[in-house]
This record gives sequence, structure tokens and C-alpha cells, in this order.
Amino acid sequence: MSETTFMGVERNLIDWKPTIDYSKCNYCMDCVEFCPHKVFEVRDNDEIRLIVKNPHNCVVFCRACSKTCGPDALSFPDKNATTQRIKEIRKEMESHG
Amino acid sequence: MAEKYVILPCNGLDKCAGLVTRELALKLHERWDSEIICPVFYRVSEAKYNKLAAERPLLVIDGCPTRCASKLAVEKNLKVARRIIVADEAKKHRIGLNDGLRITDLERRFIDDLFEELNKIEETVRPASENEAVSYNFDYETIQNRKFIFRIPKNGEVFFNENDCWAWVNGNRARIGVTDYVQQNLSDILYFYPPEVGDEIDQFGESGSIESSKAVFELVSPFSGKVVAINDKLATNPELINENPYELGWIAELELTDPEGDKELLIGFERYIEITQKKVEDADVK
Ligand code: SF4
Ligand code: SF4
Repeated sequence: MSETTFMGVERNLIDWKPTIDYSKCNYCMDCVEFCPHKVFEVRDNDEIRLIVKNPHNCVVFCRACSKTCGPDALSFPDKNATTQRIKEIRKEMESHG
Repeated sequence: MAEKYVILPCNGLDKCAGLVTRELALKLHERWDSEIICPVFYRVSEAKYNKLAAERPLLVIDGCPTRCASKLAVEKNLKVARRIIVADEAKKHRIGLNDGLRITDLERRFIDDLFEELNKIEETVRPASENEAVSYNFDYETIQNRKFIFRIPKNGEVFFNENDCWAWVNGNRARIGVTDYVQQNLSDILYFYPPEVGDEIDQFGESGSIESSKAVFELVSPFSGKVVAINDKLATNPELINENPYELGWIAELELTDPEGDKELLIGFERYIEITQKKVEDADVK
């Protein structure tokens, strides 16, 4: 997946992913079922049964899984900060030709 | 019109937000003479409520994003006239509902506020878009795979973001909506939650959402700006988005704040066609 870009910027330079608040999560796994991008991974044998396994698979600016989460356990980075960061990286890329 | 509603609350007992749905429904019942559907009884016996729901517009009140009441409405093939999700409203009102299973004064005040808002909404007619008769002359490029046909408008004034939303720029305004790709993936769209007229939206900010029985899709606005109109027709006919998400199925109209700056982070139809083609191929492989 290394060739994936978002708005011309390498995806792995952009910090955008869900963060699970384990004090709220009830492991209903609705988010896992919902997201088609294999961002989450279920670990049946561990105490923490759900992790964000592939953060860079998450679609930048998508927050859809948080809408399915009853206990409101999923949060995302600040969108404006992310937009700014993408602009900066693009500028840097331009100045480096 | 308000008193004609029939109300379907989730009536959830395991969260405060669920209890709020019940109290709000009771208040509407008392003040508006609305009928209430008991979700538990509805599961075992349909006839009475099916009849009611066929006679009156349906207001669905969900407590949390699990949306049990909405799902029940879908299961029973009911047409929803309006829906509120208490947890989302609480966020808008910057209220933290308590963790317990009892309603406190805070929730009571919140329920009063929600009730007042519902009353107001019923009184004010939403501003209809002035340029209803805008004529579209979109030429479409078609992408086809085994299952679907996607159309993408080939127009220099239509911009896309990589979150499958489009914007058609017309002077200092733009109409926004979702692309065929979203519409096809969701299949039958059942609900439409518009942004509010007057809302200031950032570029890539949430600008409403649509929902099918499969999923919820949150619109990511291509441009920053102020919402000046929404497509009223979608409230009663969300399926227009399935029919044509670029024309009859437009979602909102924005007065643009920084069109030139925003365009730097958007793509034109050629690039969007490439990206969609790739997505369709990737999905085909799976
Ligand atoms: S939807 Fe929310 S509560 Fe359910 S598993 Fe995901 S994060 Fe946890
Ligand atoms: S935000 Fe979207 S892409 Fe990211 S994990 Fe959630 S559903 Fe998947």
C-alpha cells in the first residue's frame, strides 16, 4: 500500500486515524463491521480485544465509524490541523521540485 | 402538522440518552397529541402501529448512534418524516448527559429545549432554494464494472475531494453533494440530515449526512463557506440522491469563503475518474 497518496501527499505522512477510548468501548465491534478498510483488528484472546491495526488505511477526513459507535468511544485528530499539515507538506514538495 | 406525528422513540433503558427519548416522546404526546409507538410491543405485534404509521408522518427519536429505533423503522418499512438522535443533539447543545439511569434536572431542561426546537422547526418553513430551475447541462463520463455503472460529470466547474463529494461552483456559490460512487455503495438512501442554513462550514468539515440501511455517510465539504440553502426535497424524497446525486440529489448550497484557496486541495473530474476507477478495480479484486 506504500504507493497510496491523499491529495498528492504520501498517506503515511498524514496523521489521521480513529483512537479508541477503552474506558468507553464495550467491544460491540460495530466499527469493525462497518469499516471496509481493515483499519481495526479484533484480538479475541487478548484483554484489549480491539486495536487500530492499520491507521494508514483510514480514509483521511472520514469519521464514519464514530457515527456507529453507541458509547462514543472513537475520536479523530483535529481536521483543520490536518488540512494545514497537508498544505505544508505540499508546499515543501513544490519547493523541492 | 406537528400534532399529526406518530413518534417512535428507542425507549432505551440502559443509557440516559434512551430515557431522554422516552421523556421527549411523552412530552410531545401530551402537548401535540402525538401517538407513541412502543418499540417492544411493535416487535411482537405489528398491525396497530403499521396502521398508525401509514396514516401519520413518523418522527423517530434515537438515544445513541446505535440507532435502534431507526433500524426498527427500516425493518418495518416505515417512511421516516423526521429523526433526531439525542446524543448528537446533546453534543450540539454542549451538554454531557449523566452516566446513570435516571433523568436529572439537567436532562429535564435539555428535553424542554429539544421540545421548543421541534416546535420552532414546525413553525418556520425552510427557505427554498431560489434557483430551483437551475439548468444542468452536465455531460457524464461513465465507469463500469461488473456490478455498477458510475457516472461522473465532466465539467470544469465541478470539483471533487477524495472523500467522494462534489461541488459545482457558480460565481461565489457552490452546490455540494455526494458522487455516484457513494450513492451506489449505500444503495437505497433512507434518511437525509442536512446542515442548517446559516452554518459556517470549514473545508473538509461535516456538511450533513445520509443514511441507508447499510451505512451512514457523512458529507465532507469540498469548500468552506456558509450554508445558504439546502435541498428541501430530500427530506421527503431522499431517494432522489439515488436517482441522480449530481442534479436532483444535490445536498446544500454554500456561499464560498475562500474558493481559490480551497481549490488547491480539490481535484477535477479527470483525476476523480482515475481515482474512482482504481477504487472500483480494487473492490472488484476482493
Ligand atoms: S463501535 Fe465503539 S464501542 Fe463498539 S467496538 Fe467500536 S469503538 Fe468499541
Ligand atoms: S474513519 Fe472511516 S476509514 Fe477510518 S476507520 Fe472509521 S470508517 Fe474506517
